[in-house]
Amino acid sequence: MLAVATPEVLWWALLPVLFLSVGGLLLLTVASLVRRLPDWLPQAWTVVTGLAVLVACVPMWCEVRDEGPRTTLAGSVAVDGSTVLVTAVLAAVVVAVALLARPYLRREDLPGVEVYVLLMLSAAGGVVMASADDLIVLFLGLEILSIAVYVLAALHLRRIESQEGAMKYFVLGAFASAFLLYGMALVYGATGSTRLALVAEHLSATVLVDDSMLLAGIALLLVGLAFKVAAVPFHAWTPDVYQGSPTPVVAWMAAGVKAAGFAAMVRVLVTSLGTHASDWAPPVGVLAVASVLVGAVVAVLQTDVRRMLAYSSVAHAGFLLLGVQAADADGTAAVYAYLVVYALLATGSFAVLTVMGGDGDAAHHLDDYRGLARRRPVLAGAFTLLLLGQAGVPFTGGFVAKLGVLAAAVADRGYWVAGLAMLGAAAAAFVYLRILVSMYLEDPDAEAADGSTGPAVPLGARVVIGVACAGVLFVGLVPGPLLDLARDAVPVLVGS
Amino acid sequence: MSALAPTAVLAASSAVPFAVLPALVLVPAVGALLVACLPRRRPELLKLAAVTTSVVVGGMAVWLLSGFDVDHGADLQFVSSATWMADLGISWTLGVDGISLFLVVLTGVLFPIALLAVDPGHDDRAYYAWLLLLEAGVMGVFLALDLMVFFLCFEVVLVPMYFLIGRWGHGNRAYAATKFFLYTMAGSALMLVGILALAFLHADAVGGPVTFDLVAIAEAQAVDATAARWIFAAFALAFAVKVPIFPLHTWLPDAHTEAPTAGSVILAGVLLKLGTYGFLRFGLYLFPEASHFFAPVFLTLGVVGIVYGAVVATMQRDLKRLVAYSSVAHLGFIVLGTFALNTEGIEGGLLQMVNHGVSTGALFLLVGMVYERRHTRQIDELGGLQKSAPVLAGVFTVVMLSSIGLPGLNGFVGEFLVLVGAFNAHRWFAVVAAGGVILAALYLLWAYQRVFHGPAEGDNATMPDLRLREGLVLAPLLALIVFMGVYPKPVIERMEPAVDALVAHVEHHVDGFTEPTSQFGSEVEPGHGDDDGHGESDDHGDDH
Amino acid sequence: MLGQYLPVVVLLILAFLFAALSFVASRLLAPRRPHDRKAAPYECGIIPGRETPERFPVRFFLVAMIFIVFDIEIVFLYPWAVAHGGLGLFGLVAVLLFSLAVFESFVYLIGNGALEWGPVRRVRHAVSPARTSTSTIRRAGVREVGLEGRTIGDESGRAA
Repeated sequence: MLAVATPEVLWWALLPVLFLSVGGLLLLTVASLVRRLPDWLPQAWTVVTGLAVLVACVPMWCEVRDEGPRTTLAGSVAVDGSTVLVTAVLAAVVVAVALLARPYLRREDLPGVEVYVLLMLSAAGGVVMASADDLIVLFLGLEILSIAVYVLAALHLRRIESQEGAMKYFVLGAFASAFLLYGMALVYGATGSTRLALVAEHLSATVLVDDSMLLAGIALLLVGLAFKVAAVPFHAWTPDVYQGSPTPVVAWMAAGVKAAGFAAMVRVLVTSLGTHASDWAPPVGVLAVASVLVGAVVAVLQTDVRRMLAYSSVAHAGFLLLGVQAADADGTAAVYAYLVVYALLATGSFAVLTVMGGDGDAAHHLDDYRGLARRRPVLAGAFTLLLLGQAGVPFTGGFVAKLGVLAAAVADRGYWVAGLAMLGAAAAAFVYLRILVSMYLEDPDAEAADGSTGPAVPLGARVVIGVACAGVLFVGLVPGPLLDLARDAVPVLVGS
Repeated sequence: MSALAPTAVLAASSAVPFAVLPALVLVPAVGALLVACLPRRRPELLKLAAVTTSVVVGGMAVWLLSGFDVDHGADLQFVSSATWMADLGISWTLGVDGISLFLVVLTGVLFPIALLAVDPGHDDRAYYAWLLLLEAGVMGVFLALDLMVFFLCFEVVLVPMYFLIGRWGHGNRAYAATKFFLYTMAGSALMLVGILALAFLHADAVGGPVTFDLVAIAEAQAVDATAARWIFAAFALAFAVKVPIFPLHTWLPDAHTEAPTAGSVILAGVLLKLGTYGFLRFGLYLFPEASHFFAPVFLTLGVVGIVYGAVVATMQRDLKRLVAYSSVAHLGFIVLGTFALNTEGIEGGLLQMVNHGVSTGALFLLVGMVYERRHTRQIDELGGLQKSAPVLAGVFTVVMLSSIGLPGLNGFVGEFLVLVGAFNAHRWFAVVAAGGVILAALYLLWAYQRVFHGPAEGDNATMPDLRLREGLVLAPLLALIVFMGVYPKPVIERMEPAVDALVAHVEHHVDGFTEPTSQFGSEVEPGHGDDDGHGESDDHGDDH
Repeated sequence: MLGQYLPVVVLLILAFLFAALSFVASRLLAPRRPHDRKAAPYECGIIPGRETPERFPVRFFLVAMIFIVFDIEIVFLYPWAVAHGGLGLFGLVAVLLFSLAVFESFVYLIGNGALEWGPVRRVRHAVSPARTSTSTIRRAGVREVGLEGRTIGDESGRAA
């Protein structure tokens, strides 16, 4: 008889994953059995689930802060500040996307319940990924997250771009997953374990005579993760997918998927492979600078606002990598602060885009924003704030976020990296200015000018945009609380 | 922990009843918020609120002048501090000394004038809100004693100015606004890296926690010379774009020309000083050695700017563009004076900052008034305005002569001091710069002749003269022009101790450097060897 | 030890050689007189009357996919069955949860009519009659490529 030791389970620590996955599956069952579901029900259910996760995060945070971080499920899932913070971010984004989705689905005349189900399942995957303390679990979370997002990307049945983007995303994503898996295998081969804590233990206790296998493994891990977070040169899918996918889904991709990806990256690279930082930090620095520069410069050439924001999200990934390459607690804390701020900025911005997309989700050309300030002054004002935040203008959250990663890079003597990244930021400012110019400085077309008041802003979008703007301003003016949170969230290794 | 709590700690040095410096920053910001909440369709109410706010700020700024302790002019006064980002050691530390005092006052005076003088014409609410926000940012720059707070304000100023130019400007406004924003943003991008590097290197060298405190870093001078030179270069780039210094000036004519009148006044009067002030406070004071090392570069560029600005101004057909290029020349003088690195030069530069703010601000107002009446700024299309608008012409004459630097008006004092300073330091630069003065007379007088003299035809003959409101707006500026020309002592005696201390600071920290003073006699007292640069210099109160 | 693989390698080489030789031989020896009929695709000797690639119902794929779902379940159930004694209650609960999730997807498929083979049933989320696929796609600014290979009559018929 085979005797297997069953692991101990900290159920309270798994509540977020349980809420999200059970919530998603329940919704799917109900929708399959009940013929005609009122369309507010799935939305309300998703919002409630997301809020429940958020609420559950509060006692978890206190527990982790007071009692210290720990692991569960035989050391494969970490229960620490990082887990809780990223979970909260993901849950908040889920709520926001659910709020945006209903008016969008109604406007686009798309069938309803799958979006919410996939969103929740994808978020469950994201939580698993962020809390994974074992490479296999990390891969599991990544796949749950990704496969749901592939389907979400293809959700707009009548837009060929949506299908095209989803196809590209899927093929390239599968490719990246393979890289990641291969990298994990090599790391396992080099260290004898897939558990991050044991990997770190092994690496600090032994000196590898030949570390080529480990280095190859790290390189492949890096490739796989860089693809997920859309860092140059693994960013090629981003513009097409962002342009094609339903806009609320893009909000999830930008804010949620990126957060989960960076949480995983930080845990693997900084926490577990920290002893080999001198090997992986320089390439990550190169990726960071390349992402910022390429993202900013190519964004300038776009005329589709969604493609602009797609490339700007590449630039943001570069800034986040700047924090990762510092490979220390300061850098990691800066990454978390950046993630929170970016979640606000991205969700808010894509909420505006959802509203602006108009019938058919197609009105995303720069010209469609002409004279928006006259037609919809409040919407234009909110978008202005969000764009200025993305540009990193002082007294917005964007500045606080950039300051953190820059400080981490400079403290690490990365003057060149930081300097080049700042030049990229200045170039990126031009992108946001182009949108501002369109909104404020150009008069609307004759057609749009006579009496048209611009798109209607549904209540859900109002809430999302309002909260995002308030958050961005609050963090910009009073950055203390967020920085404290981020500092507390820095993951530490918990021994076996 | 950190919060923007109203717990500003008052410095013991001054007996102020309230934290006046935070108020100088906060009142306009709150005013902007207030204006943004008022009903959109009540322009008169909006204007009242905006003007009231700026007058209150102006009043506080002028009150600062009386509260300023002349005997301790070199000291930072009214200092207040509040922690902001504890992790990074960033705190809201504000203070004034003789160097920033008059720039604060200038800001306080110019904003109400700019607000009163011109109505935006459309979107009043946003216009007033942005102007007030701009004032808050500018005040923050002049008052900040924390590098990061300085940078924040330095950057945030761009946003209101961008919208002011872009939404209420003329002609090619979107292009001008974007160019302005990108130039300055790109310029200051590296300054942020420089600030961070400086703070971390300083903390490493001193062994304390990371701090962005200007005084602590400047007095310690702990960063080694090579690093300091690199960091200075990063700072200097940001300031050089902002000033602007010769090869980086191309945003200026566009921005000035396309901006609305109030925008031009503020841009010329206050915003350009952010760069020159930066050179003094965050260049010379923070990096004495690097400043001395790079001084020849800036002296050369300053002189080039003087001559180039004057020559190009002569060629302009657009009156406003002409004034804009004259700014390039004037700012060349300020840079020249600053990098002469002696008391006369720096003092002259400082005085010239104030003078340029007053004179060029007034010039832009006048050009705006002409434009409002004639809807053109082309010099060719104007002519003989003297007959139809004698008062306007008279005011223009005075302001123009002040800009040329006629003795008895304010421009002369500053320019003279700059030339004396430059002559003592680097004779040939001063000689060339003096040629620039002559060129200034050429382009301004020639423009005046073409616009105001000659036969008046068509609309030019019937142009209405200065209205009472416009006269009232211009009156304080005219008064300042004459007052500072005739009796500059109260200004200079407040500046001098701080400037002396700055020069002594440079002398102290640069090996083998002594303040270049007159070789012909000793009518100007040589800099004294104060040890820490912030010691006292009470004996300098009444040299002039 | 690797010696035991030798036969496999030899067989591989032989297979490869045989295939290569056959091709080369036919290329060298066969007479070559091509004409239209010969070049046409082979359909049991009948001359093709229309375009060959014809669509067939997507339900075939659905059935295949449903099969895969259960296939996967079996793949996991089998090792569990082997080891269930050692895994105990924990393993039972885990595998039950897993089966539940798999079954869930089956419920979804049934609920959406994946196994209904009768005449096309009422579309659940009917598109408004005013919106044909042409108009919607046009309005959405989709490239014309989107219309290729689509029987427009089909969808508009469904919408009506």
